[in-house]
Amino acid sequence: MLPSMFRRILPLLLLTLLALPAAGQARTLSARIAKVTTPVATLQEVTVRLEWPKTAEAGNLTLSAGRVTAPDLGYRFDNLTWHCPLQRDAKQEGWRCEGEIRSAGRKPLKLGVDLATASTDAVLQSGSSSLALHRNAGTPDLTRIDLTRVPLAWAQALLTQVWPEANLKSGQMSGALNIHVPEVRPLRVEGRLTFAGLGLDTPDGSIAAEGVGAQVELDYRKSAGLSLLTLDGSLRGGEMLVGNGYIALPDTLVDFSIAARQQGQSGWEIPQLSWNDGDAMRLDGSLAFDAQANLRDADLRVESPDVAPLRPRYLSGWLGLLGLGELQLQGGASAQLRMRGGELASAEAELREVSVIDAQQRFRFDGLSGKPVFSAGSSVDSALRWRGGEVHGLAFGAAELLLDSGQGVIGLRQPVTVPMLGGGLRFEDINLRPPAGERGLEFDFGLTVESLDVGQLAKALDWPAFQGRLDGRIPKARYADDRLDFEGNLVTRMFDGTVQVSGLAMERPFGTAPTLSADISLDDMNLQSLTGVFGFGEITGALDGSIRNLRLVDWQAEAFDADLHTDPDWKGKRRISQRAVQDLSSVGGAGGLGDSLQAQALKLFEDFGYRQIGISCRLAEQVCAMDGLRSAGNGFIIVEGSGLPRLNVVGYNRRVDWPTLVERLVAVTQGESKPVIE
Amino acid sequence: MQRWLGTSLAAALLLTACVTINVYFPAAEAKEAAKEFVDKVIGDDAPATEAKPAPQTPGGQGGSASLQSRRSFDWLALIGIGSAYAQESADISIKTPAIQAIQNRMATRFQTQLAAGFDAGALGLTRDGMVEVRDAAKLALKDRVAITQAVADDNRDRKAVYREVAVANGHPEWESQIRGIFAQQWIASAHSGWWYQDAGGGWKQK
Repeated sequence: MLPSMFRRILPLLLLTLLALPAAGQARTLSARIAKVTTPVATLQEVTVRLEWPKTAEAGNLTLSAGRVTAPDLGYRFDNLTWHCPLQRDAKQEGWRCEGEIRSAGRKPLKLGVDLATASTDAVLQSGSSSLALHRNAGTPDLTRIDLTRVPLAWAQALLTQVWPEANLKSGQMSGALNIHVPEVRPLRVEGRLTFAGLGLDTPDGSIAAEGVGAQVELDYRKSAGLSLLTLDGSLRGGEMLVGNGYIALPDTLVDFSIAARQQGQSGWEIPQLSWNDGDAMRLDGSLAFDAQANLRDADLRVESPDVAPLRPRYLSGWLGLLGLGELQLQGGASAQLRMRGGELASAEAELREVSVIDAQQRFRFDGLSGKPVFSAGSSVDSALRWRGGEVHGLAFGAAELLLDSGQGVIGLRQPVTVPMLGGGLRFEDINLRPPAGERGLEFDFGLTVESLDVGQLAKALDWPAFQGRLDGRIPKARYADDRLDFEGNLVTRMFDGTVQVSGLAMERPFGTAPTLSADISLDDMNLQSLTGVFGFGEITGALDGSIRNLRLVDWQAEAFDADLHTDPDWKGKRRISQRAVQDLSSVGGAGGLGDSLQAQALKLFEDFGYRQIGISCRLAEQVCAMDGLRSAGNGFIIVEGSGLPRLNVVGYNRRVDWPTLVERLVAVTQGESKPVIE
Repeated sequence: MQRWLGTSLAAALLLTACVTINVYFPAAEAKEAAKEFVDKVIGDDAPATEAKPAPQTPGGQGGSASLQSRRSFDWLALIGIGSAYAQESADISIKTPAIQAIQNRMATRFQTQLAAGFDAGALGLTRDGMVEVRDAAKLALKDRVAITQAVADDNRDRKAVYREVAVANGHPEWESQIRGIFAQQWIASAHSGWWYQDAGGGWKQK
């Protein structure tokens, strides 16, 4: 802009200057021009002043402009001044001038201009950065720009043309650009650029890049109603953020190519997009954005022979929001996504031995294979199978799910049995609706629990060695809003009796502090086997009772209302061993074994007869409110004796600290407790 | 006739009296508990104040909660035992292991990650007791990813806390009131310069 204007004015100026009478002093000439228009730029309020001392080799040239604008390139400078010594070039044919150029709000730069007969060369320099401009009289529409380590900030105005929100923050570029400004045809900028340490940001922080290295072939054309941009090149290193998506580029080359167009005021369309990150991800397809730059339509095909790098490179942003930031992936996959009007229309995946492992060990799936399809429209059949996995420490076996999907729901075409704990979980149906907009994930299923081995369950959950089989039917379980509710009952037979679990519900099953609530009732459990398993001395008889409103948080009991008592209808012997009395007394905090003499005497007996045993605990706020069969003075009767010697166990401490109680229970069942009988 | 009417009216009154159970939300206690919780998370609990809420006397106003808080909740009244003023010791407990575990985790996260985001003006406290990235541009790109994730984690924890405090105190239906009290407390305990959402949803700087 400046050089081309300079080229036009200089001859005029020199001619005028030479024509002036040589009066022995310096000759000075000033010109004021309201407006100079060149193909690229317009200069307004231009003043040129040339002062040439009589015998001097060079004249002093000062050129200033109130405003310089290059609307197509988006540049604007105010109060621009360039001061330089004007002299003949080496060949004495052209002119040369090099000096400092200043403009309002910018750092001063060095501008050198060479005017040969047929060409104009200008070099703008700042430190080791330089921008060289070359124009040739033979090709008046073409300006060639060579860039050497130019701060990216210099390209801000150009970028603003195509992407008004972007703010270039750091980085340098080198390369060459050709700017074509023909009279009638569109503006065209093309060339090859190399970027180092590219950093950019948008005012709302939704799109950003840092430390990105890139090599790009660029072709940008702009006419009145249409902008076309093609970028071909490769990226190396750095990180990028788009909304909640975060891309950590690898140190290896990632080839990409983008063809984009914008018509009028509508949003950008990318009819052709490709991304090649080797085995981690090869993507191609098309995208379209609305005028507010929201993704409207997308057709993407993704191929990932090795999914392991996907999480750290591409998925960590999204997964992190779901609390799965450290998810591990293995295997290979490909996928096709279709989005219409901002909504997912269909997703097809092909999984090849994919494993998904939660870092917090809440779940894992091994050997996922198949081609599951999700459709927001018409119904599509598909299948998915796995080799095995784990949920909250409970392993499950291989299964194949025959799926169908339509209208935004994916579900089972026919029931499937998932082997688990020596039995199985038979899912009658499943309907799953992925999260969309404000609505989170929702699903429901019907389930039959088939003969799960309680022994294995107990082992997996680190419970005492219960034995038995768990059966039941959950006609409907619903998950919505972080809550899983089960209808129906689970029944297990253990210790010759039955345990029934009803009112099952989970909150945040895979989130913060998962909870489980249930009502449990016990009927006719054989106490002899039960006490044997618990290492709780020996009691003969049958146990009835209930644990109502049980609530586990993070798998720890937080509340329940438990009442355990012997079955009054038990027909057999009712004996309680010395050890069981001690253990019960210890756990119950009871003080009922009387004092010295009697106690000494009682120690002689192996066991005692009883009429009834009962203990209850209502847990709330980490305190167990205890009670027994009934009150006795200040205390409550836990064991009511029968026959001789008659022994009653009476508890006095009605409020027991729950952690202490659990400690005692653990100690007792591990045989460590040594209750003192005085 | 008049007598019959009087009797049935009295009976009706009696019936109504029998089935109406007023459960008042203990706003003052909830506020106290929220303050204890929030100050520990933010790391401003240095002057170890006695967390025990003062017993409420009947008729004492509970304060600023959305529901009127006449007095502590009377557990026994629910099952029909005792007079309306039989108990005065009810409070809002936040001492369950689960809540404490979440609180500790939130405190660590707040003091190592979120506080810087609040100081920078990138994060804001929402009117419903959550945290929002209100101006991501105030964070370096690297932090932006980590803090966005921390905010998501924290909001999951917050949601769990509001729920668990309500449930642990025997009133799951109090969840939204507990959340409301906490929302006010987060803003009340916020350092000056931090952003928060006013009742209308607009962002303000404290």
